[in-house]
Amino acid sequence: MNQTVVSYLSQYEFYDVLLKLFGGNQGLLALTIYLLLGVAIIGMCATIGGLGTYAERKISADLQARIGPNRVGPYGLLQMLADGVKMMTKEDIMPFTADKMLFYLAPLLCLTGVFATLAVVPFSSGFIMADMNVGIFYLVAISSLVGVGVFLGGYASNSKWSMLGGMRGASQIISYEIPVTISLLAITLLAGGMGFGTIIGRQGGLPHQWFMFHNPFAFLATFVYFIGALAETNRAPFDLPEAESELVSGYHTEYTGMRFGFFALAEYIEVFVVCGVAAALFLGGYQIPGISIDILPLQAVQFVIFMTKTLMLYYVVIWIRWTLPRLRVDQLMSVCWKYLTPMAILNLVGCAIWMVAFDGQSIAEMILGGQH
Amino acid sequence: MFLQFLFISSAFLTIASAVAVLLTKNIMHSCVFLLASLIGVAGLYATLGADFVAVTQIMVYMGGVVILMLFAVMLTGGKDFISRAQNLLGLPASMGNRWTYGIGLIVGLVFLLTNIKLLMGITKSLPVKTITNEFPSTVNEIGHLLIKEHVLAFEISSVLLLGALVGAAIIARPRKQN
Amino acid sequence: MIPAQIDGLMPVVIFMGLAVLLFLGGHFASVLLAPKKPSHLKSTPYECGEQPVGSAWSMFNVRFYVVGLIFIIFDVESVLMFPVAAIFKEMVDMGQGGYALIILLSFVSVLLEGIAYCWRKGDLDWVKSFQHSLKKETK
Repeated sequence: MNQTVVSYLSQYEFYDVLLKLFGGNQGLLALTIYLLLGVAIIGMCATIGGLGTYAERKISADLQARIGPNRVGPYGLLQMLADGVKMMTKEDIMPFTADKMLFYLAPLLCLTGVFATLAVVPFSSGFIMADMNVGIFYLVAISSLVGVGVFLGGYASNSKWSMLGGMRGASQIISYEIPVTISLLAITLLAGGMGFGTIIGRQGGLPHQWFMFHNPFAFLATFVYFIGALAETNRAPFDLPEAESELVSGYHTEYTGMRFGFFALAEYIEVFVVCGVAAALFLGGYQIPGISIDILPLQAVQFVIFMTKTLMLYYVVIWIRWTLPRLRVDQLMSVCWKYLTPMAILNLVGCAIWMVAFDGQSIAEMILGGQH
Repeated sequence: MFLQFLFISSAFLTIASAVAVLLTKNIMHSCVFLLASLIGVAGLYATLGADFVAVTQIMVYMGGVVILMLFAVMLTGGKDFISRAQNLLGLPASMGNRWTYGIGLIVGLVFLLTNIKLLMGITKSLPVKTITNEFPSTVNEIGHLLIKEHVLAFEISSVLLLGALVGAAIIARPRKQN
Repeated sequence: MIPAQIDGLMPVVIFMGLAVLLFLGGHFASVLLAPKKPSHLKSTPYECGEQPVGSAWSMFNVRFYVVGLIFIIFDVESVLMFPVAAIFKEMVDMGQGGYALIILLSFVSVLLEGIAYCWRKGDLDWVKSFQHSLKKETK
């Protein structure tokens, strides 16, 4: 059955008190809880996205032996607020040749696709908005809206840079979806389910219980997933759709003010979601080492563990961006179709054979199981 | 309550955007309306409790087919997306002349009659199923069916897809200029 | 307990609704705060300061379409494999792992055959080697 944050809360006594407060109307109470938590999650993710821009500049400055933003607030921490205000007070310019309807629609599609993925991100065992049975499959599917948004953004601007960026972006996003999906298939195979709860429940808190170290193929699948996910979020070294030195700013060249802000926000939140999914699927997610009981205060610990893993991956993403040079378009496509996709299929086959040959045991289980 | 809301809004989205696909004169806009219509269909599947089918609809149609259509439109390029020619009814000429409408009418009538005949049979023979609010997972059921009862169809579909892949590759291959 | 009808679907709809709300709110704020001084030159498409020549909506290379076609086929294959992968562990636990493995392997091998064919024939190359295919046809 699908588990949601409401059905998790309903096992505690204060839920009944709340229910009485709402006059026994369960639908209304559920709606209120979902709305409050949804706003909270979006607020949190927007903050993380804002901090992401700050972290990006600070880390890049660090890697290039510069200082980075340090004027606004202590250590330049309020830079993101200044950026946000600036975004809102910029004039909205639309090229007169643009397709007006699609020009408005494109950032909305990106934003909707990314926000909808937040519904299944597992922050802790209870605090997952909807632990659907089709969890990761849903996540891959709904995030493909971003590809349509990127393409339409490029098309609607009616600018040559935008158009090139949009075409490249859409073809890159759909190409890299294949290795990502097949890597996720390998993990589905190991876990025996597509829901995030099932997948994380099959792992443990300690590294040797993670799916990353389950078998050699899963180890490879981790990297295939991560590289593919980087490309899907248009991050360097796969930032061809917005390559500054070739395409000015790619598909959002003509976007100013808030509409550009929505594209940027969607991108940063998507990076966060992708890192969160990698942490959940391969790095044990919110599992606390050694503790398997489930009480309410431990949810906070689980949340902290999940966020730590996710933000560490976020750091890796930024680190990669400022270390590696950009790929060429033909290299980009050959990396996807000639290296990542065959490797992902190999991983899938390998994981299936491993499951049958060793009865679903991981390497660590086999070694530790042999001792007694 | 929520289910009714979801059903009505999905149905409205599906039908309204489908009509908009027909009425708009800009081919890019009709692609986008088609996207909205397909989202509505996914919503309808979701209200029926078919979670896997709903997500498949999103994955294949929204993520794949619509983008492919957009690419296909970009193959033609140019500003001539917007068709200004009109037929007798004042609709875009690309929607057909009187012959296409006539044939469409006949096909639609036959289809409608067949469906009524089929549906009559079903309603008579099957007991009316009470609608429950239980949505068990459809994924495991589909998996078991694919791997046991319908394993031949499952394997043959892979051959079908192989054929489609080879065909797509051959069509798009650069050819010698004549 | 919670009625099952709100399981899973409601958060999705709420998040989508919040995205639309945020979008409208952002636009509203921008209407209130942003200056409005439109001019013709300002709203020309950016072309590095030059006068834009022609429209950007031009014919694009067919290679994007090919990528889209190959993508859809792999997409459908992975959709078909997802339910099988989801019950794979169950099958292994029931002792029918070998059977499931054979089914999955034969499915994947057909998929691999397709990608091998495309690779061999050069359909996966972004820059198509025209000379290569020309030589073959003249032979």
